[in-house]
Amino acid sequence: MEHMIFSAGFADALLLGLSVASTWLIAALGLTIVYGTIGVINMAHGEFIMLGAYATYVLESKLHVPFLLCLPLSFLIVAVIGLLIERLLIRYLYDRPLDTLLATWGVSIVLIQAVRLIFGSDPLYLSVPNALNQNWQLGFFSISVFRVFILAVTLAVSAAVWLFMQRTRFGMQIRAVTQNRAMAASFGINQKRVYAGAFALGSGLAGLAGCMFGVLNIVLPNMGSGYVVQAFLVVVSGGGSLVGSVISGGAVGELQSIFSYFADDTLALCIIFTLIVIFLRFRPQGLIAPSASRR
Amino acid sequence: MTSSNLYHNSKAQWAVYAVFFIIVLAVPAVIDDSYTLNLLATFGVFAMLALSVSLVWGAGGVLTLGQGVPFGLAAYCMAMTMQMQAQTPDSPMPPFMANNSLTQLPLMWEPFKSTTTGLLIALFFPTVLWTLFGGLMFAARVHGGFVAVMTLAMLSAIGLLVLDIQPYTDGANGITPPNALLIAGHSIDPYSPTAYIIVAVALVVLAALSKALLAGKFGLVTHAIRTDSERTRFLGYNVFLYQTLLFGIAGFIASIAGCLFVMLEQYVSPAQLDVSFSVGMVIWTGVGGRASLLWAMLGALLINAGQTVVGDTLLNTWLLFLGIFFILVVRFLPKGLAGVAEWLVGFFLRRRGPAQHQAVAPAHEGG
Repeated sequence: MEHMIFSAGFADALLLGLSVASTWLIAALGLTIVYGTIGVINMAHGEFIMLGAYATYVLESKLHVPFLLCLPLSFLIVAVIGLLIERLLIRYLYDRPLDTLLATWGVSIVLIQAVRLIFGSDPLYLSVPNALNQNWQLGFFSISVFRVFILAVTLAVSAAVWLFMQRTRFGMQIRAVTQNRAMAASFGINQKRVYAGAFALGSGLAGLAGCMFGVLNIVLPNMGSGYVVQAFLVVVSGGGSLVGSVISGGAVGELQSIFSYFADDTLALCIIFTLIVIFLRFRPQGLIAPSASRR
Repeated sequence: MTSSNLYHNSKAQWAVYAVFFIIVLAVPAVIDDSYTLNLLATFGVFAMLALSVSLVWGAGGVLTLGQGVPFGLAAYCMAMTMQMQAQTPDSPMPPFMANNSLTQLPLMWEPFKSTTTGLLIALFFPTVLWTLFGGLMFAARVHGGFVAVMTLAMLSAIGLLVLDIQPYTDGANGITPPNALLIAGHSIDPYSPTAYIIVAVALVVLAALSKALLAGKFGLVTHAIRTDSERTRFLGYNVFLYQTLLFGIAGFIASIAGCLFVMLEQYVSPAQLDVSFSVGMVIWTGVGGRASLLWAMLGALLINAGQTVVGDTLLNTWLLFLGIFFILVVRFLPKGLAGVAEWLVGFFLRRRGPAQHQAVAPAHEGG
């Protein structure tokens, strides 16, 4: 009997792991594009997530936009903000990758403080349709519908990004520039446009993630700071490719859920970070690096 | 390579450092307000951190976002030592432990019963740990942004661990030793000139040693590694050894800073292991000038002084402007304020005629 409860609990942890994995992955998806393909170490990624949550808050409570419509809208809003930042700042720093790290850290401070001055430091809450606000009971398992929703959105968006990168002209241009800048330029690809577009796309994906994280947690000006480390670890250990991020995000989420089952959440996260550091020690290029001559 | 800019003259540099050292040491003669003195001493600790970041990042070319690891761990060890000084046979255990339902002193606290052992652990445990971690990274030839991410992960992991083992560290509350540090029967009042002088002397000695280190052969090889590590390796230098040594030295300086911080504040909390604090050190160093030890320290002093002057009411606006300022520095002044100083000195104190008696341009272009 005890054994059965244990295995049921463990299976529950595995199932929850899928949900945890989807949050890691959706947080890292935008960064996979920004860091993995155009090489910008964007420390403001977490703040783009935060902006997505605040955009959703404004849309929902001031303009009464339904939640499901907020998903694409927060994508668009944050993508535009990302594009602005790319045009004003990032584009001057493509040859100085370490400086993109510093400059985007400055951006993150500015965004946090600006949001704090506009919206205050009090937590805000997002509301979702009642249908998403329930729990599903499946035998032993109970899982919130919203977590399943996140999983579904993450899978759909990942597939969409993959299709975008593989099947569209712009996606092909991004891959071409990643593989060989000079060659791509000689074939008439406008590199500046590609970089700006990729940065906006990555920012928008962060905004989309923020729209959902705002529901999962409370909305605070500094809510993004935790996500940026997580997202980086997923992208770096994945190797910078989309498939790598999916695998590492999945593995990390499952491991975290399993460790949480035996220890507690904080310790689980601590073990994960340590494992990733050890992993990177032996495989600095990550799981699946893009087949490219990196700059 | 000779330069007509007085800024790169090593004798002139030492003269400027000497002036800085004298000012730092002379402060207690001018200021007798104990609160201000304590504040300035804390800034001195921050300057020490900027010094260590400048060594690794400016001189070594390795951006570390985890300098808070040796600093925070040393601070915790120091706080544990000072906490145990307050414990008597009647109350062998810090009060917070009983609140976390511990019945006896945990094993990890035992060594801190002795002040000497505690201090040795505080200085050398974080240093050794950080050197090993650096060694592991550099042996794998990890570089650039990866080091930044790995140090960041390490910092997050340790911060979470300290937060998690609440019965041993009192979690988010941190450790607040009730009494000032007691060394050989002397109590060091954090608000006294003595405390300030200890910090000032430590800062001056560490800065002078670091400067001397970079002015010598070690500095030249480090410069070579920063510019082209592969080529330096081909020339037969053990790049791994130099990188690890520099990383370890910076860790040691951060450990000293951690000990002194707790001596001054009688307080440590996971905030000292927070990502934003470690990035703050990088910002001080970057704004001041990563390539100059002196300007890195001045950056720490200026930014922290500014933050104090502005005060808590306007803190959010201050941070907003600090962020904007930092972005502008990265975009337009990669050398920080040091770059401005270099240009000004070069503009106004240009040497006429062909340069004579020029020292070889130092590896570390400090000012």
